[in-house]
Amino acid sequence: MTIQECYAALHGDYEDVLNRLRSDRLVQKFMFKFLDDPSYGTLCTSMAEKNREEAFRAAHTIKGVCQNLSFTKLYRSADALCEALRNDWAPNAEALAEAVHADYQATVSAIREFQEAQG
Amino acid sequence: MILINEEQNHKSKILIADDSEMNRAILADMLGDSYEIIEAENGLEAIAAIQKYSIELSLILLDIVMPEMDGFGVLDTMNKRRWIDDIPVIMISAESSPATIERAYELGVTDFISRPFDAMIVQRRVINTILLYAKQKKLMGLVADQIYEKEQNNSLMIDILSHIVGFKNGESAQHVLHVRVLTELLLDALVQHTDQYRLTWSDISGISIASALHDIGKIGIPSEILNKPGKLTDEEFEIMKSHSVIGADILKDLPVHQNEPLVKAAYEICRWHHERWDGRGYPDGLKGDEIPISAQIVALADVYDALTSERVYKPPFSHDEAVKMILNHECGVFNPLLMDCLRDISDTLKASTSEHSLLDVSNSRENRGIVEEMVRHKELAASERTLRLLEQERMKNSFYATLTHEIQFEYTALPAMVSISAWGAQLLGLEEIIMDPFHSPAAAAVMERADMCKLAKKLSRTTPEHPNAQQDCVVTRDGERRWFRIVVRSMWSAESDPHFTGCIGKAMDIHDSRMMLDDLERKASHDALTGLYNHAHAKTIIQQRMDDHPGSSFALVMIDLDHFKDANDTYGHQFGDQVLLYMADSLRQSIRGSDIAVRVGGDEFLIFLEYKQGLEPIIQRIFTSLCGQVEDFHISVSMGISRATGADLCYEDLFHQADQALYRAKQSGRGQYFFYDDSMEATLSTVSPIESNHKSGHSAKKKEG
Repeated sequence: MTIQECYAALHGDYEDVLNRLRSDRLVQKFMFKFLDDPSYGTLCTSMAEKNREEAFRAAHTIKGVCQNLSFTKLYRSADALCEALRNDWAPNAEALAEAVHADYQATVSAIREFQEAQG
Repeated sequence: MILINEEQNHKSKILIADDSEMNRAILADMLGDSYEIIEAENGLEAIAAIQKYSIELSLILLDIVMPEMDGFGVLDTMNKRRWIDDIPVIMISAESSPATIERAYELGVTDFISRPFDAMIVQRRVINTILLYAKQKKLMGLVADQIYEKEQNNSLMIDILSHIVGFKNGESAQHVLHVRVLTELLLDALVQHTDQYRLTWSDISGISIASALHDIGKIGIPSEILNKPGKLTDEEFEIMKSHSVIGADILKDLPVHQNEPLVKAAYEICRWHHERWDGRGYPDGLKGDEIPISAQIVALADVYDALTSERVYKPPFSHDEAVKMILNHECGVFNPLLMDCLRDISDTLKASTSEHSLLDVSNSRENRGIVEEMVRHKELAASERTLRLLEQERMKNSFYATLTHEIQFEYTALPAMVSISAWGAQLLGLEEIIMDPFHSPAAAAVMERADMCKLAKKLSRTTPEHPNAQQDCVVTRDGERRWFRIVVRSMWSAESDPHFTGCIGKAMDIHDSRMMLDDLERKASHDALTGLYNHAHAKTIIQQRMDDHPGSSFALVMIDLDHFKDANDTYGHQFGDQVLLYMADSLRQSIRGSDIAVRVGGDEFLIFLEYKQGLEPIIQRIFTSLCGQVEDFHISVSMGISRATGADLCYEDLFHQADQALYRAKQSGRGQYFFYDDSMEATLSTVSPIESNHKSGHSAKKKEG
């Protein structure tokens, strides 16, 4: 699997990220780093605990990171969840969180597959 | 000195405040190795970092959404603390609504970068912002450096050298300072006469500073010669003369700074400040301008100050006399040009020797220079100058603090935070910055919360007019609990209605002195053998107790151990002491907490107590409890009791009456007690001068008790 294929699998925009970060090495480095980012874990916990502020911050962080890495699909679902939690707990928050979970899993498995291909 | 520091730390420091480690890492990577990156993962950490690094920070990259305190909170604080004037902030956020951006600009950010980051944009904007600020700072720095380089080097070097040389040679401390001022005055006059020596402004400054070193070689001269009051022998004089070479060698052997103009000038001055224009000086017999101009000038300054100062072997000459002697070559021949310079500065010198000290002249002279510079560069110099002075103050303070073992700290109310001097933090095992100290477990481990609250309460009672408060409390240091004295000064905002902004303070370890004091106090107030109060101290506290409770009834019980002398005579003094200790112990057990037990002296004790009704049962109980047995010695006591209500009697009277009652008890065959009544007024006293004869007579007769 190439990095381009990986981006295609996670519905990201490889060209965009390369334009901004300007090096494959950096893109790859941060992609792998994304696997260790604790924000997703925080999001799951705070959603379960209905801790709106913390869930908002976690979604916001995921959104920011995805934006930086051009993980377009996950960025969009995180953004939607973010807005659903910004001022109060919107009725569709749980549904949007489900979308984030699905996109996150898809993103992570694509990265893992790429990582394994790299050896 | 400051320039060197700047070179060492030439990498600009950038603070990245973002709650996502990923985002911080991406930014750090984009910025590359050209910067030193400091990271903060929330607003409070950012504030702590700004507090710590202050203007060392070249730039802050600030996220908006963060836990603890968000980016706007950080900006608010930066505005309140005026940091925003000195440190540029670039806001970075996925929040790109116009309202957010506008608010950020209103709070003083220089730029706004929205996510996703573009490496080139981040790099360019960071560089531009830093350059913009750096240019401005550099301009300020250039001006400030010129003005203050001199001041800083001067004070530090002169202080150190005056002390080193003065330490060795009592008369030299002032001399070093005088020579510096004279050198500076002569150099100023010289450049007005001629430009043949091509002296720049910084040469003049350097030579003046280096002049302080002219006698450092004297530390290599034996004190007996250096401080000999009489005339030196030829041999001693030869040794004395070697100080110029010794001084020069010290400088030549310096492992570093050999190429510093200051060190070169100092070398010339040390070696050749005893050379003379006609070649008859020492150590090398240089002639005319073979002698570096620096050394020529310091030589003249040296001679002038020696003449006009008092020495063990001569009174001070007046300015006119001194100049006359120099012009007559009585102290060797000098460069004729310098003779002109000496005449030029005569008025200044004359005024200084008659009215002010030379140092005043120097100060006003420097101040004038500074003021002129300041006017010229007003808008640039002001803030930089303040910073320099602050930096200097900080250096001074921390130096003194290490000497006196003080811990310095600063508390700000908003956000609640204590910053502790590096040395202090290390000593206490704390971080230099403690957020929310009243709820910090680390702080609580060092200082009890109750003490913190007490201190806070005292602080809350301070006003801008009376800002100081003080508290002694126990602080845990290395697991050891020690007494510290904490002195604080509250700080107030500058508005017309000032409000509390925090405090500065220091904590001093007073444990040893306090322990010593406690010990001394205890020794002064207690009997060494029994640990009971001694009589002198008891008098004071008993009188105090009576004065404080005018409505209460008091009794004073004098107690005498029957046949104590026998115990001493028969069993020895060590046994006697044992009996006394037994007595003291029984006394302690037979009284209540508020009663006062005293060893009056020898085998006499005293109890002072307050009673409500029925004194007799109390006395009976005490009397009974004091009887006992120490080995073979049977203990019985005689007691005399006097009574008072409030302070109707003074202590002396009360004591006298109890003493008379005791006398009656002993007269009546011992082993009993009597209350004082008026019939005893004229009787003798157990503690009257005839007491000892009387007593020994008694005990001799009644050995069996």
